[in-house]
Formats: sequence, C-alpha cells, structure tokens
Amino acid sequence: MADIKILAVDDSPTMRRIIVNTLKRAGFKDVTEATDGKDALAKMKVDNFNFVITDWNMPEMDGLTFVKHVRNTEGFKNLPILMVTTRSVKDDIIEAMKAGVNNYIVKPFTPDTLKAKISQTIDNVV
Amino acid sequence: MTEPVMVSSKIHEEIRSLTESIDQMVESFRNLQNPIEESRKRVPEATMQLDQINKQTEEATHRVLDMVEQITNDAGDMVRDLTTLRKALPATYFKNRSKVRDVFERMEKAASSSQDNAFAIMDALQFQDITAQQMEHTAHLLDEVETKLHSIKGFLGGDESEAKEDIVVHRKRAFDPNARYEVSSESQEEVDNLLESVKKDHQE
Repeated sequence: MADIKILAVDDSPTMRRIIVNTLKRAGFKDVTEATDGKDALAKMKVDNFNFVITDWNMPEMDGLTFVKHVRNTEGFKNLPILMVTTRSVKDDIIEAMKAGVNNYIVKPFTPDTLKAKISQTIDNVV
Repeated sequence: MTEPVMVSSKIHEEIRSLTESIDQMVESFRNLQNPIEESRKRVPEATMQLDQINKQTEEATHRVLDMVEQITNDAGDMVRDLTTLRKALPATYFKNRSKVRDVFERMEKAASSSQDNAFAIMDALQFQDITAQQMEHTAHLLDEVETKLHSIKGFLGGDESEAKEDIVVHRKRAFDPNARYEVSSESQEEVDNLLESVKKDHQE
C-alpha cells in the first residue's frame, strides 16, 4: 500500500505541508501537491495517481466540482477519493458522497485517522 | 376671496411646505453621506488588516513547521545512528542491565519522544487553516458591507464619477462559514456514522 502515488489537493500551504508530512510518516513517500481542483486536473493529465486526497473549499475550482469532473472522466471513475475538510454538516457530507467521494475526514484530523481512512478507502474501492 | 383663488392659495401653501420638506430631506441625506463615506473608506482598512493577520499567521506557522521538520529529521537521524552504533558495538556491551544499554535505551526513548512531540505540534498547526477560513469569512462579510455602503452612497446622490472610480473588485475568497477548531474524536465518529447510513441507504 505504501507504494501508491497520492495527489494531495488543498489551497492552504500549511495543510498541504501537514498532509505530506503525515503521509510520509505513515510510509507514503510518493505524494504530489495541487493548490486547487484546476491545478489537480492539470496534474492528473500528465501523471497517474492511485489515490486523491482533496479539500472542499478552494478558490478557482472547489473540491466538489473537482470530484465531479474526475468522476465524469473516463479512466478515473474508480479512483479512490478521500475528502479532508472542515465541513461536517450532514447535508455537505451527503452532497460529497453523491458527487463521488469515497471517504470523508473532518479537520483537524489525527495521523491515525488519515492512515486508517486511506487504508479503508483502498480496501473498499480496489 | 373667490373659491378658485382660495384653492390656488392652498395649493401654493402645500407646494411651499412640500418644498421645505424636500429641502430638509436633502439636507439630512447630505449630513448622512459623510459618516457613510467615512465608514465605507474604513471597511477596506479592516479587511486589509485581517488579510495581513492571515498572511503573518501563515508565515509564522511555516517557520514553526520548518523547526518541527528539523526536529523530526534530527531525531530520526539520531535513532538511525544509535541503531548503527548498537550493531557495531560488541553484544557484551548490552548484556543484562549494563550502563551502555541503559544509556542507549534512554537516548532512543528521548529521540523517539522528541519525534512524537514534534509531530503533535505539527498536527496542532492545523489550527492555522481553520482560523484562516474564519478570517476569510469575516473579510468576506466586510467586503459585502463595503459594497452595500457603496450602493447607499450612490442612492444618496454622491458624485457618480467619484463613486465609479472607488469601485473595488474584491478577490474571490474560499472558506467554510462554519469552520471550527474542535479537537475531539466525536465529530469524526459522527461523520463516520453518517457515512455508514448514507452507504446503507444507497445499497438499499
């Protein structure tokens, strides 16, 4: 599992740094960063990722729009997507699931939660 | 006085009174304009201040992250060096409760503890993303107040050319209006329960 290629999408440089460090500590060495949905889609065109971690609230293209784009793209329909966001309202979570998110983490998260959710998502999707 | 002359006089009286009222209203509007204009000019200052706080907090957070990464790397190096040294030294050094073994164990424990503490600091720094969103929300509300004050100023009859020059294009802000920094496992548990029920509903 540790050899998977992860794309981490968040507009906050602090969060990207924390996510990358947490992933590396958990053994995931191959992590690419993207600043929003638009940047992520551009990176997905030139690289193959096995897992996506995305924030919701981002400028240019938010996480929900990004996930919808991914799900409407041939070849990405089964790509595991984990949403990491501050949004914990029931309707938001339902909306995210409907858009195609496989799993959901509320910020602030613990490293154990992130690791467990990645593992759980991969087990359920792949 | 004949009746038409009386009516005309009454109309004149009414018009005069109406003109006076309008003059008073115009004067009141003029007096209103100054505080509105003053408030409108102060709102961008407050917004700028918030953006500045956000930027400085982010910079400070990254300086702390630099140090945290330095600590975790150093502690990691120390653990690796101790492991290498342990392998290089004769096994007899570590027999029973030898002093060398005690020192090694203390150093390994200290290095591991430093690493754990540094990672705990890193986890806590997630607060910066959450407070940044809260400040973005406040700044967004101030942007709205500024736009509304601008409209009121236009309605009260300010100098149109000046008003057009003053129009500020606000940058797009991304935030969760309900963002809260809550360190508890409960919110994640609630989300997990909800995810389960959504999945079950979907399967049915």
